[in-house]
Amino acid sequence: MQYLRIATFALGLICSSAASLSFAQDISAKIQVCGACHGADGNSKIEGTPSLAGQPKIFLENQMVMIREGMRNIPAMKGQLDGVSDAAIIAITKFYTNSPAISQAGSRNSALYEKGQFISKEALCGTCHLPNYVGRDQMPRIAAQREDYLLYSMRQFRSNQATGRDTIMAASLYGMSDDDLKAIAHYLSQLQ
Amino acid sequence: MRQQLTSVATFSTLALSLMILQGCATAPPPKAEAAPAPAAPAWKQGMGADMASSKLAPMPGKMTVTAASEIPIDKLKLPPGFKIEVWATGMPGARAMARGDDGKIYIGTRAIGRVYELSDNGKERTSRVVVDKLVQPAGVAFNNGSLYVMAINKVLRYDGIGKNPSVEPVDLTAKFNLPPEQHHNWKYIAFGPDGKLYVPFGAPCNICELPSPEYAQIRRYNADGSGMEVLATGVRNSVGFDWHPTTKQLWFTNHGRDWMGDDKPNDTLNRMEKTGLNFGFPYCHAGNVPDDTVRKANPCSGVEQPVTLMGPHTAVMGMKFYTGNMFPAEYKNAALVARKGSWNRNQKSGYDVVMVKAGADGKNAKITPFITGFMNPADQSFWGRPAYLLQMPDGSMLVSDEQLGAVYRVTYSKQQVAAK
Repeated sequence: MQYLRIATFALGLICSSAASLSFAQDISAKIQVCGACHGADGNSKIEGTPSLAGQPKIFLENQMVMIREGMRNIPAMKGQLDGVSDAAIIAITKFYTNSPAISQAGSRNSALYEKGQFISKEALCGTCHLPNYVGRDQMPRIAAQREDYLLYSMRQFRSNQATGRDTIMAASLYGMSDDDLKAIAHYLSQLQ
Repeated sequence: MRQQLTSVATFSTLALSLMILQGCATAPPPKAEAAPAPAAPAWKQGMGADMASSKLAPMPGKMTVTAASEIPIDKLKLPPGFKIEVWATGMPGARAMARGDDGKIYIGTRAIGRVYELSDNGKERTSRVVVDKLVQPAGVAFNNGSLYVMAINKVLRYDGIGKNPSVEPVDLTAKFNLPPEQHHNWKYIAFGPDGKLYVPFGAPCNICELPSPEYAQIRRYNADGSGMEVLATGVRNSVGFDWHPTTKQLWFTNHGRDWMGDDKPNDTLNRMEKTGLNFGFPYCHAGNVPDDTVRKANPCSGVEQPVTLMGPHTAVMGMKFYTGNMFPAEYKNAALVARKGSWNRNQKSGYDVVMVKAGADGKNAKITPFITGFMNPADQSFWGRPAYLLQMPDGSMLVSDEQLGAVYRVTYSKQQVAAK
């Protein structure tokens, strides 16, 4: 199914222009490399590696530019985007944006889930990430993201380590306890 | 109650989304079981009732290159006789501009972490990245042959960069004693007529009691970072200023807070008549609007009044007093102010450059449009966000567009009036 999608995507690029044949092949190859960690369909099964499926276009493009530029220093991504053009980033983004997000969460802890649901609502996360947390524009989908990655990412924001990304998230998490963040991460990871 | 919550948790995603949309007023905070009636946590500060159902959010930036052919420059409207052209592009995130002695222009950014150097051979412009990987290096200034770059957490000086493009920077960070919080602490910097470097320190929040006194200030330093003085307090977030051509007083733009309604408070243009003045944050906005959450008795007592209100949530950025000879006489010593445009407003405001004519004493300010057309009020779409201005030696004016990473050039001629 996923390979079919990749193939369809690649075919679309090929048909758009014969000259872009090698470009389309490059993009397909690149997406296969990405898929080794992020999941073939962009739903990650690896701890600490975020899901990219269903993420908003601008969010993914901006993150890839920041990783390429070295603004986001992620050891596992080191060198992966070196020399990748803006056009290639836009094409790779298109694949992941169109791939549906599927929650990879384990069993639900009801108390933690309810606490996370409450805090997410009280903290108005849905104002920017939308009430169903699917994200938009530069603001990521947080529904169905991996629980471990959500917690890691929020801790980064809270401690001003989220280099390159909007400081408004640091301000939004200012004063939250680790238990608060754990509850939010658990809740959001369970959503579809 | 507990049972009700559990049943909510078993709803389908769709039902859950609807519940969240409508607001689940009966859900108790799990934490409240342990501590009765806890004070609102820090992250609740400044969240008004109107925010709970709002979907207003900051506008997305663009970090990829925009070709000149993709810039709809023809949509921009200026007064008769003025012309605007795409002068340079390909510099994602381009904000404040500083001109070097040899005509090269240095341009700061935020998220993409770069400082660009823009060169003009008379026919076309080319750019290179001077430094990258910095944390929001928005502040650029040029003084005595040196480029100064100020990021949120770093200050660098490039001596003689005009002659030696690969010069290693001198790290001045330790001398400037930058505070730890990052929000609103990206910089606009400029050297004043006194040869000192002026630096704003924004409030690290939308609205809050300051965690420590070193925020919501405008300061100045000697060029080497010594001799710091706090010049003004209560300045929420100024990212643009200039000195009046005749009085040499500092005039600065200031961003008003979010989430107090569509129409208040206003962003402002202010004048620093003397040092030591208080501009109101967090208790009082725009000179006469008490804050609705951070309160004290007589919140606006002793607070400076703005030169003029600049519109609610318009995001007033760079400003320049026009001192050239190319534009008509009415522009002489008038302030041109870039309004990057609102996010925290249901009907978009700003997305333009305006002219502010006022007395040298700041009285009788009058605002008129100068460049419009970045935003379409009919469908609320926008394509560009004017951020900063730079006057060129020939009297033309450069305008940076942070959204598209481009620089436009505004010229005037009587022939252009006749042509229209």
